[in-house]
Amino acid sequence: MDTLPDSTDWLTTSLPHFSALEAALRCEVCKEFYQNPVITPCSHTFCSLCVRRCISADGKCPACKKGCQADRLVGNFAVREVVGRFVEGRERALEVARGVGREEGRKRKRSVEGGDDEGVYGEEKAVKRTRSQAGRTRAVEKPIEVLDSEDDEVEEVEELPEGTTRCPICQMVMKPEEVWPHLDKSCKGAQESDRRTTRSRTNPTIQSPFTLNSPRRPSHTTPTPPPQRLPGLNYALLRDTALKKKLQDLGLPSHGRRDQLIKRHTEWLHLWNSNCDASDESRKTKRELLRDLDTWERTQGPGARDSDASVMRKDYDAQAHVETHKGQFADLIAAARKARGAKSTAGNDTTSAQTEDGKEAVEKSHTTQTTQQDSSSRPYEDNERAIDTVRQKVRATNLTGEIQPPSSAPTSSLPNPHTNADREEPVDQGMANPFSSPSRKLPMFALPEEPVVDVEQSAGMP
Amino acid sequence: MSSSTAGKRLLKEYKALSSDPPEGILAGPCDEDNLFVWEALIEGPKGTPFENGVFPAELRFPKDYPLAPPKMKFTVDMWHPNVYSDGTVCISILHAPGDDPMQYEKASERWSPIQSVEKILISVMSMLAEPNDESPANVDAARQWREDRKGYEKRVRDMVRKSLGL
Repeated sequence: MDTLPDSTDWLTTSLPHFSALEAALRCEVCKEFYQNPVITPCSHTFCSLCVRRCISADGKCPACKKGCQADRLVGNFAVREVVGRFVEGRERALEVARGVGREEGRKRKRSVEGGDDEGVYGEEKAVKRTRSQAGRTRAVEKPIEVLDSEDDEVEEVEELPEGTTRCPICQMVMKPEEVWPHLDKSCKGAQESDRRTTRSRTNPTIQSPFTLNSPRRPSHTTPTPPPQRLPGLNYALLRDTALKKKLQDLGLPSHGRRDQLIKRHTEWLHLWNSNCDASDESRKTKRELLRDLDTWERTQGPGARDSDASVMRKDYDAQAHVETHKGQFADLIAAARKARGAKSTAGNDTTSAQTEDGKEAVEKSHTTQTTQQDSSSRPYEDNERAIDTVRQKVRATNLTGEIQPPSSAPTSSLPNPHTNADREEPVDQGMANPFSSPSRKLPMFALPEEPVVDVEQSAGMP
Repeated sequence: MSSSTAGKRLLKEYKALSSDPPEGILAGPCDEDNLFVWEALIEGPKGTPFENGVFPAELRFPKDYPLAPPKMKFTVDMWHPNVYSDGTVCISILHAPGDDPMQYEKASERWSPIQSVEKILISVMSMLAEPNDESPANVDAARQWREDRKGYEKRVRDMVRKSLGL
C-alpha cells in the first residue's frame, strides 16, 4: 500500500500544502489524477470516463446534482496540461520535499556555477548553459537541443533495435515509453538542465526526436483524424437481434442476455467517447479499449461474481458449523452408504465390497463423486491434511486386505492412460490426488470405515 | 479484484484514511484481499450520551461503487432513532439519488460518487449527536428521544457501558 501514490504522500514531507494541491488535481470520483478531463455545463471537472458513467447512471452532475448530458461535456485542456506536467515532476518533487534530493540538488548547483567538470561532458554542459542563458536575452534563437537531436536522428535511425529510441539528452537507448520516466528520474543530462527542459516543453520540436524516432508508433508521423463520438441508442426501440447486430458491427462480443448486451454497449460508449476526449499522445487504440471493456465485464459487469460470496465472516466458527449440521451430515453419509452398499450386506469386510454384486453400485457412486468433485474445482487438491488422511487409510487397507486390480472394474468406458501404472503401483498413482483423475478405481470407497466423515472434519469444509 | 475501478478507488480511500485519519474514526477492509467489505470503528461524539463509546460497524460496497453507495450496519446493539434494530444505518448520504424510501431527503444530501467513506463516517458521527426524527428507522427510540429525553440518554449510556463490558 505504501507504493500507492496518493495526495497524502505530501503530508509527511516538508511541503504538506502540496497535499491539497494534488487533491485538487485528482478526480473526485475515481481519486486518480484527471484522465482526459472534461468540464460539465455546471463548470465541474471530472475524468471523461468517470463523469460519463455517472451521467448514464443518474443523469446528474456528481458534484452539484444538476441535470447534465454526456454530449454537453467538453474537454478541459488547461487542467489536462497542468495534471500532465505535475505528474511528470511529482516523483522528483516528492523526493526533494522528503529531503532525499537535497544533497544532490546542492551538488548540481555548485558544479554548474563553478564549472569544475573537465572533459567533453563538461564542455557540452557549459555550451548548453550559455545557450540557455543567452536564450533569455535574444528573442529568436534556435535551441541547440533541436540541432543535436536532429543529428542523432539522421545518424542512428538504422542502428537502433526495433522498438527502442534514444534519450534526447543522455543518448541512452531505451523503449519510447520509458523516456519520460527516465528523464524525470535517472537521466543525468536532464537533471543538469532543469531550466532547459522546462523551456523545451513549450517547444513542440523538442518532443519530436523520440516520437518520430519510434518505429512502434508510426501514427505520429501521419496524424490520424480524431475518432468520432458514438451516439447513444434508444434500447427500448431495438429488438434483441438488432442490438446484437449493433454490437457485432462495433466488433464487440454479442453473447449474453439482453440486459447484459445493453450494459456492455453502454460501457463501450463510455470507453469510446472518453477516449475521444484524450489527447493525441494518450489516445488508446481500439484493441486497448476492448481490453478495458473485458476488464470491466469481469470486475463490474453483469458477469462479475458477487463480492460478498467469497467473504467468510470473521467470527465464523467451522467447528460450530459442523456441530449444528451434524445431523445433516449423518443423513447424507447414511444415504451415501445405503446407495453404495445397496446389495452388499452391512458390516462386510474390505473384500466383500469388491464382489461382483457390489461392484455396480460402487462404480456408480464413484463416478458421481468424481464428477461432483471435478465441478467443484477439487477442494482437496490443496489440502495436504485431507489428502494425507485419505492416503493413510488406503495404505492401511492395502496392507491388510487383498484388493483386486482395478482393471477388473468396468473402467473401459473412461479413457485411462494410466491403467498399467495403476495396476503396478495402485497406492502411489491413486493417492497423488484422490479426486483429480476420473478413471481411478479407488479401494477407499469400498472401506467399511467412515472416510467421508473424517475427510469432512479434517478438511474443515463448511 | 483491485484491477476494477471500484477496487482502485477503495484502495485509495483506504490509504487516505490510514495516513490521514479523521478524529474518532478508524476504517479499513476486513481482509486486504477483498476490499468490498470494511470494518469501521466510530467513537461516540463528546458531549452526547454516546461519549466514551466505541461503535464497530460493517460497510459493504457494491461492485459498481462509487456509483452506488455502500451499506452500513452497526455490529453492536444501538439505541438510536436512525438505526434499525438490526444495526442498519439509515441516513440520507447512504441513499442513492434514485431511491428515496422516506420521501423527505433533499437530493443534495444523498449519495453521490464524490462522497467517500470518510464523509459517510463523519455524517454517522454527527447523526449520533443529532438524531433526525423526521423519518425514524427505530420508532420506539425516536419516540423516547422526543418525549423522554432523560430516559433515552440513560438507555444510551447503559448501552455504551454494556458494549464496553462494564
